[in-house]
Amino acid sequence: MLEVLDGGLRTTVQDMGRCGGQALGIPPSGAQDGFALRIANLLAGNPPGGPLVVGGEPGAAGLEMTLGRLRLRALEDHVLALAGADTGATIDGGPVPCWSSFVLRAGQTLACGLALSGARAYLAVHGGIDVPLYRGSRATHVGGGFGGLEGRALQPGDRLPVGRATASAEALAGRRLRPDLVPRYETPHEVRVVAGPEAHLFTADSVETFYATPWKLNPKADRTGMRFIGPALSFRPERPGYLVEDAGLDPSNIVIDPGAPVGTIQVPSGVEPIVLCVDSPSIGGYTRIAIVISSDMSRVGQVRPFEETRFVRISHEDAVAALAEQEALLADPAILV
Amino acid sequence: MIYDEPVFKTLGDTAINVEFGDETSIPLNFRILALDLALRENAPKGLVETNPQVRTLGLVFDPLSTTRARIVAHVRELIAAQGAVTMLPSRRVVIPALYDDPWSRECAEAFGVRNNIEYIAAFNGMTVPQVIETHTACDYWVTGVGFVPGAFMSYAMEPAKRFGAPLYRTPRTWTHARLLNFGGTTSTIYPIRVPGGGQLFGRTPIEIFDPREPSPAFADGPVLARAGDRHRYESIGRDEYDAIRAEVEAGTYEYRVEDGTFDCAGYVVWLEAQGEPAEKRDPESTWGPA
Repeated sequence: MLEVLDGGLRTTVQDMGRCGGQALGIPPSGAQDGFALRIANLLAGNPPGGPLVVGGEPGAAGLEMTLGRLRLRALEDHVLALAGADTGATIDGGPVPCWSSFVLRAGQTLACGLALSGARAYLAVHGGIDVPLYRGSRATHVGGGFGGLEGRALQPGDRLPVGRATASAEALAGRRLRPDLVPRYETPHEVRVVAGPEAHLFTADSVETFYATPWKLNPKADRTGMRFIGPALSFRPERPGYLVEDAGLDPSNIVIDPGAPVGTIQVPSGVEPIVLCVDSPSIGGYTRIAIVISSDMSRVGQVRPFEETRFVRISHEDAVAALAEQEALLADPAILV
Repeated sequence: MIYDEPVFKTLGDTAINVEFGDETSIPLNFRILALDLALRENAPKGLVETNPQVRTLGLVFDPLSTTRARIVAHVRELIAAQGAVTMLPSRRVVIPALYDDPWSRECAEAFGVRNNIEYIAAFNGMTVPQVIETHTACDYWVTGVGFVPGAFMSYAMEPAKRFGAPLYRTPRTWTHARLLNFGGTTSTIYPIRVPGGGQLFGRTPIEIFDPREPSPAFADGPVLARAGDRHRYESIGRDEYDAIRAEVEAGTYEYRVEDGTFDCAGYVVWLEAQGEPAEKRDPESTWGPA
């Protein structure tokens, strides 16, 4: 059991999300940076789960902190692991490194500071956070009020049940991710995308602008969507009458339909492209200029407000290869040292 | 516009959209729902989930256990094996609603606009009682469920009774849960408290989204609406609203849901007799898919 002393800016219970809810309007939720949560779980000796959206395996639940500041007290001894943004965490004042596993003894306090690089930090605990499964996952969806701990962000006084230990603390603690694999979250962030189904409705110049621009993250970003500030994009002028009737007058309106579950980049009215994230609506009504590849949603999850991001176009085949490469890496026991 | 051939759009590495056209039409939706059913009965390996919407079937697949090409080939075969849609499973759901309710008025006041039902009436050259009468006078076909948990899109099944009003230019930052609203001719209900731009005109005491899954009407999950449902609204007074709401909160309300099927072929014939072509075509357009 862990006791929350301070939930920080926003901390929620997350795993690798729930599949199968799109047709009910239920988003996958899960970690915004699935790579970091899965590494934290591996370090803590937990099942890491499959890739977001298509893996079907939620893995163990951990905590996702936005920018940090979580403080927890252990009520029993636990093996924990931190990954993602480095919050300069300490145990009773002594530093604990990010991307490593360690023991938090009963009565000790883990205090995370504010991340200076990266936007989201992940804490895994051996045994996993043992809140009830909801539709196959423990991921919190705050908007819908379900999953996680009572469907909400953590508050002081919350007690987090932890699943049964299956390995000894000696075997698990003191491990870390191979240093060359630790992501650096440098700007401009580079995010790979596949061209979107309505890219042809934009002018050729605007498509070029989209890929050439270092887009600045709008600070109102959250787990639903991240808007990027930059030049306005324009649309081809012709637009048939029936679409005006069925979809609306604005040239960025299309007849409503499902996007990709996460990663869809919509451009309402040609202004501020929005990357739909893990809590995003399952349908949309705006032109989609590009789709972030599933294995790069982790990078999107680490962009801080006002940091620059460039979108790099690759083919569908290369996107699949990138996912295969990510899964092969996570399956390799030699990544932990 | 209905395309000559179904179009497969790739969305990144894990999703495909199948489209037969790009207009809002119930007959087009029949084809989407029929294909969705066929895929549920005969799912290819690696298909993770489907998401049927008004004119599109969204498919999510695991590219590490199948390929885009295999999913597309499988769907093409199912489409080729399908004739015109004759019948679909379709529940009929009665939704009681208090029209011109105080909560919709409160939202309008909070955002400095006139009572939306009065705007809807003026926009359609109707009186407020006529808005209520028209909205309760025919079934609404649910073309798809989604956006936020439990939200859905539905359209009046009788063209002569189809009406609506444009969305707000600037969406509200909040809306009470369970408010009926129009976005264009789309009729829907906000399941939970969310931002939104729909024109508000009533409130239902029943839950559209309920993670408690309180009755057999929620057998498929926490969401009342299903694509292919027919919704019928019933105008109730404040006393009845309060009584039903109390039952819903106590978990004793019996949702009024009838299982059944719908004669899609007969509906298309009837629609055409109303002078409403089942399919709009625009051969001059250069707008179609790339």
